Amino acid sequence: MTRRFLLLLLLSVFFLPGCDRLGERPKMKIAYMNCNNERETYQRFAPISSYLSEKTGVEFETVVVDTHEFEERMKAGEFALVHTNSLLYIILKEAVGLKLLATEKRGAFGTHTAGALIARKGSGIEKIEDIKGKRLIFGPMMAPSGYLAQYDLMLAAGIDPERDLAYYAIPAGAFKHEKLIYAVYFGDFDVAAAPVLDLEEMTREGKIEADDFTILAQSATFPYCTFGAAADLDPALFDKIKKALLDLGPEDTAELDGERLKVFKTSWAEGFEDLLDSDYDGLREMARRANMPPYQSY
Amino acid sequence: MAKLSCAGRLKLLLFLATTGLVALLVTAPNGGGTAGSSALDKAMERELARQARAAFVRELYAPVTELRDAGRPQQALLKLEELARAYPGDPFGLVLRAEILRELGRLDQAIGHYAQALRLNGEFLDEQGPFSRRTEIRLLVEEGLATLLPRFQSHPDNRSLAATVKEVYYLQSRLAGGCE
Amino acid sequence: MNLRDRHLWLVIFAGLALGSLGALLAVWGNPENSGICVSCFLENSAGALGLHDNERMRYLRPELIGFVLGALGSSLLFREFRSRGGSDPLPRFFGGIFLMVGCAIFIGCPIKLFLRLGAGDLTALSGFAGLFVGVWGGLRTMVDQVRLAPARPRRGSGLLVPAFFLLLLVFLLSGPGFLLESSGGSATAHAPRSVALGVGLLLGGLAQRSRLCVTGALRDALLLGRRSPLLYGLLAFALSAVLVNLFGGVFRLGFYGQPGAHTDQLWSFFGMALVGWLSVLIGGCPFRQLIKAGEGDADAGLVVMGMFVGGAVAQSWGLTATAAGVPLYGKVAVLSGFIFVFAWSLFSREDKTC
Repeated sequence: MTRRFLLLLLLSVFFLPGCDRLGERPKMKIAYMNCNNERETYQRFAPISSYLSEKTGVEFETVVVDTHEFEERMKAGEFALVHTNSLLYIILKEAVGLKLLATEKRGAFGTHTAGALIARKGSGIEKIEDIKGKRLIFGPMMAPSGYLAQYDLMLAAGIDPERDLAYYAIPAGAFKHEKLIYAVYFGDFDVAAAPVLDLEEMTREGKIEADDFTILAQSATFPYCTFGAAADLDPALFDKIKKALLDLGPEDTAELDGERLKVFKTSWAEGFEDLLDSDYDGLREMARRANMPPYQSY
Repeated sequence: MAKLSCAGRLKLLLFLATTGLVALLVTAPNGGGTAGSSALDKAMERELARQARAAFVRELYAPVTELRDAGRPQQALLKLEELARAYPGDPFGLVLRAEILRELGRLDQAIGHYAQALRLNGEFLDEQGPFSRRTEIRLLVEEGLATLLPRFQSHPDNRSLAATVKEVYYLQSRLAGGCE
Repeated sequence: MNLRDRHLWLVIFAGLALGSLGALLAVWGNPENSGICVSCFLENSAGALGLHDNERMRYLRPELIGFVLGALGSSLLFREFRSRGGSDPLPRFFGGIFLMVGCAIFIGCPIKLFLRLGAGDLTALSGFAGLFVGVWGGLRTMVDQVRLAPARPRRGSGLLVPAFFLLLLVFLLSGPGFLLESSGGSATAHAPRSVALGVGLLLGGLAQRSRLCVTGALRDALLLGRRSPLLYGLLAFALSAVLVNLFGGVFRLGFYGQPGAHTDQLWSFFGMALVGWLSVLIGGCPFRQLIKAGEGDADAGLVVMGMFVGGAVAQSWGLTATAAGVPLYGKVAVLSGFIFVFAWSLFSREDKTC
């Protein structure tokens, strides 16, 4: 009798904590901004969610969200964390009090990025004033380095994008940033609003050469993609997630669908840094000048 | 002739060897003759290698320098990306990158790249020399201490600021001299 | 403290000379806070002889030659030259290598530790703590019956190291083509050769007469307290270094931005602890080993040879700390040094039962 009791006790010691953990593990959602397409975005960022789950004990679900859906779904309290571009971060901070967690590092500017106006070399367009009456291709409207920065650059140069260009367009479908660089390269458009990071990556990959384009103007740098947390997220969990993100290194792996993946390699990130909210003030000024959300007035 | 003792024989041999050595040194031609020229050649080879390296680096990065001189820093940065495909992690490339990033307003990145370059090659701190960046690094440290240190002091828990300030101190320490 | 003791005043004078000239050598051209640094000088000299591949650490330091030959001259003049040796030679050789490892991790020998402190470098405090703990640990092992084999008079063998340094003097004066010299880096920072050699000879002679030794001073302070003359020599050394640095306008109090220093306090502590421990076992700090080698101690001479090899190894294998911190293999080397010390101590116990 005593032996049976002891055996039962021993088994309980081994198995019960596991059952409790599985049963109690809280579930939360992380919304990732849809970049090139939904599938690619999921494949890039799901390992980060998995890594955060391993580090925090919270089961994070990866959700890919289009830019225009964020505000409404955040207001509905659907997401604990969001990974968006920096413009969306400041919009969500105004709208739902999003808290800054960490800023992604990628490319030569590290935690920052910039937007440039480019023309094909030899096209005769040498400076920003030359783009009046020309065909321009922007990136997506909510892209700070593919739209806002260039819009602001044109306004600063006394060019009204709505009136002074022959016309402008925004490419449809996936891989918009690459498409607009190729659009200028192959002569479909005269000028493109290119994110500097894409120029850099395409140069590194050998898709373009540094001399293929003339950079007509380039914005000041501003923060790149950003992790934010819902205002009501438990402060202890906030700190845990922040630490996990800042600790993330090139050798860290996470499990996804039975496979262990290197988090940086799959997500294209090069690290996460601890920026201050005031680091986003330059971008806020840009949005104000361009009459863009969250400071848009009619 | 008296027979030498064991110690006496050794003393004689010691004397002969010493005399031979002195005689050889006294009568040797200046610089050790043709057989000794290999040592002199080494010095020449070292100087040649140094100058060849300097010339190679200048030629390699000439397009970057030209773009910078033409006021096109971003394109110079892209050109560096291109060159980095063939010469990744080259310290001079890192220094150029640091300079361009500083020009484009990324002080933290400039500090990081200078520190990385100095860890690989200390010659950027030499007063003389083809790649001296001593003045630039001094100015960078002054700017870093003036702008980043107060920010860090008001946000002492910020890990990224702490890491950048640590790099500023590293550069400051290297500038201060001492043994490497 | 007996103020009528001539030896006491000699020790204080030697301390004053070491501190003031050590600080002044930096003013005259040696690297900042490194007017005298036996370990750095050995690394430089090993590089000059082609023993390592760091192109920025190659210069035959005249001070080193001066220390040994000054001690030789002084010991001959005062009939104190005694050729002796045979006490655990090979372990001493390896001890010399690990002395250099400890110094390389701290960035400097015990003399430089005080010169750094004297210039306001507070990062050296952890090194001082380490040195103190190391000396105490070394003394404890002595109490635990650890004894090295006794040295015996050995005619001739004590002459070898002084002869080697005489050869280095010939190299210094004649500048043969194979002698390497850096064109950049801290090795290019040096006082004029004649000044450096003169200071080296003077300090070598004084140190031979006074038996001045940094770790010896700490050891005696632990054993004898205020009765130890060497303690006053050490205090005179530190005080004069501070004064010269203050008057020279190079005193800068702080933890950050110090020349030739890093902020890995723990490893500075361990590096100097290793040096302190080893120094007690082998009877003196790196500087004292040079002086003893000059007065005919072949065992100290082997330590000096080990230090040459250690300097080369530390540079070639990338063990040396820099302002960026301590490399992984430097840490590994320090811990290996401790393993060596403890194992050597274990095998050298007289009373195997304790």
